[in-house]
Amino acid sequence: MNQPALRISKLTVKSTLEPGAPAIVSEIGFDLRKGEILALVGESGCGKTKTAEAIMGLLPASHWQVTAGAIELNGTDCSDLPPASLRKLRGNEISMIFQEPLTALDPVFSCGHQVSSVLRRHLGSARNEARDRTIKMLQQVGFADPERIFRSYPHQLSGGMRQRVMIAMAMSCRPAVLIADEPTTALDVTTQAQVLDQLTKLGREYGTAILLITHDLGVVAQYADRVMVMLDGVIVETAEVENLFKQPQHPCTRQLLSYTTGAVA
Amino acid sequence: MATEILARRKMRISRSGLTGLVIVIFFFLLAVAVWAGWAGQNWSAADGERWASPGSTWWFGTNQLGQDIFERAVYSVRTAFEIGIVVSLLSTALGAALGAVAGWRSNTLADGTVLWLAGVLDSIPFYLFVAAVAFALQGLPWAMHVAMIATFWTATARLARAEVMKIKSREFVLSARAIGLPSWLILMRHVLPNTLHILLIQASISFVAAIKTEVILSFLGLGVQDGVSWGLMLAESTQEVLAGHFNNFLAASIMLFLLLLGFNLLSDALQDSFDPKQAAL
Ligand SMILES: Nc1ncnc2c1ncn2[C@@H]1O[C@H](COP(=O)(O)OP(=O)(O)OP(=O)(O)O)[C@@H](O)[C@H]1O
Ligand SMILES: [Mg+2]
Repeated sequence: MNQPALRISKLTVKSTLEPGAPAIVSEIGFDLRKGEILALVGESGCGKTKTAEAIMGLLPASHWQVTAGAIELNGTDCSDLPPASLRKLRGNEISMIFQEPLTALDPVFSCGHQVSSVLRRHLGSARNEARDRTIKMLQQVGFADPERIFRSYPHQLSGGMRQRVMIAMAMSCRPAVLIADEPTTALDVTTQAQVLDQLTKLGREYGTAILLITHDLGVVAQYADRVMVMLDGVIVETAEVENLFKQPQHPCTRQLLSYTTGAVA
Repeated sequence: MATEILARRKMRISRSGLTGLVIVIFFFLLAVAVWAGWAGQNWSAADGERWASPGSTWWFGTNQLGQDIFERAVYSVRTAFEIGIVVSLLSTALGAALGAVAGWRSNTLADGTVLWLAGVLDSIPFYLFVAAVAFALQGLPWAMHVAMIATFWTATARLARAEVMKIKSREFVLSARAIGLPSWLILMRHVLPNTLHILLIQASISFVAAIKTEVILSFLGLGVQDGVSWGLMLAESTQEVLAGHFNNFLAASIMLFLLLLGFNLLSDALQDSFDPKQAAL
């Protein structure tokens, strides 16, 4: 029963363009338990986004060499599945929200079209059915007027609204795992709280495990169950959130904490 | 789709752009009238006297053979539109397809092949190439079209390639991949529609280029084989001008000038309205 939603072991990412350079992510491993929110924190450039993209299989082989002991999704290893089977998992069993909500939606299609096309693709829903589900989905991420949002184009929405459309899109197939890469960094504090509230509420409702990438320990304290600290492509500490704040083990963690609280560790 | 993109860009057309549009629409209606058989049908009959002056019977006068210059000039509108539409649609489509594949698979064999082909075609002097193809395919009524399409696509392909390379690094393409769309579908559904504004401008540019090229080729005897065109009229008029009769020459060149003016005004306005620097104002 207690098989994790996502198990990563010995994941390494190297650039093929600079063969001599050290790995950008080296031999990291972790379990993401079913339904939990696991935060991945670390300073800018430590490799958080590359970790996420490697798990999703989004790094082109021409530029990146990704090796993994295992990438297990609900117990099945998908590190060497053929591309077609991987595509069936992406957006369906595992999905991702990107750092930049301004450009993550296609400017030439309406938001409704983009969300419902995911449903039509993965669940084979008919047009009308997908439309109804999309509108329900938009409602669930907190839009009071889902019909209007359905018809809107991305440029007509604010950053927070777009990020909620992204959430609707990523969660529409009720994935087992969601990777949220700094979903709120580009938003102001109030909007950030609203978006994260919606996201975590939906995650609990669907039983989706969330890997929440952030550099904001305030966000971690408020939303995450456990937290991993990354430094230069290595996970240096994993802890329950309370313990991390009470007794940080690694100097890097203490430093991160000191930035947030303003206290000298 | 195109209308959505236009709406999204809040297209504001300038006064000169509007003038261009009116001129182009006027000529287009004329072409439709010829297609439908309502005008310009009497272009080949030589039933007038030679070099009649303009008047109520012969609006623009007659030519050397006693043919009605007005009828011929009007029928030529249809010829011009036929060539413009065929060449601009096909060359833009070809350029978009090859450019998109090259940009999507940049730095691969496919990309290299497309760039090499475009480079070779671009390095041949244009009229020499068109004349060579038209000459090689002589007798075929489509020789001129083929020659133009074979050279016009390269500019569109280069632009499409650059734009696709730019778009493919945008995050919505990554997010389409994260949703599980296969590569070719992302190209068709999310990348190409975002290049539509460039393709629209390229189509309008090649339309004008095709009409101009037709005139020159017809003048050289490599162009229109059956029917009549402004280029053929200008070719006829060389002898007439020497004899002091300018009606044929004036009719063909003024019509050509007006249509090109209209199209240039319109395509300038299009380019301005798609210019990101302008849009930001
Ligand atoms: N296209 C690339 N080519 C080469 N190196 C890259 C490329 N993209 C990122 N890197 C390197 O990979 C490292 C990790 O980048 P990554 O985007 O994963 O950082 P991050 O932890 O997500 O940072 P941030 O918090 O700023 O988003 C960076 O140090 C960067 O130098
Ligand atoms: Mg990042």
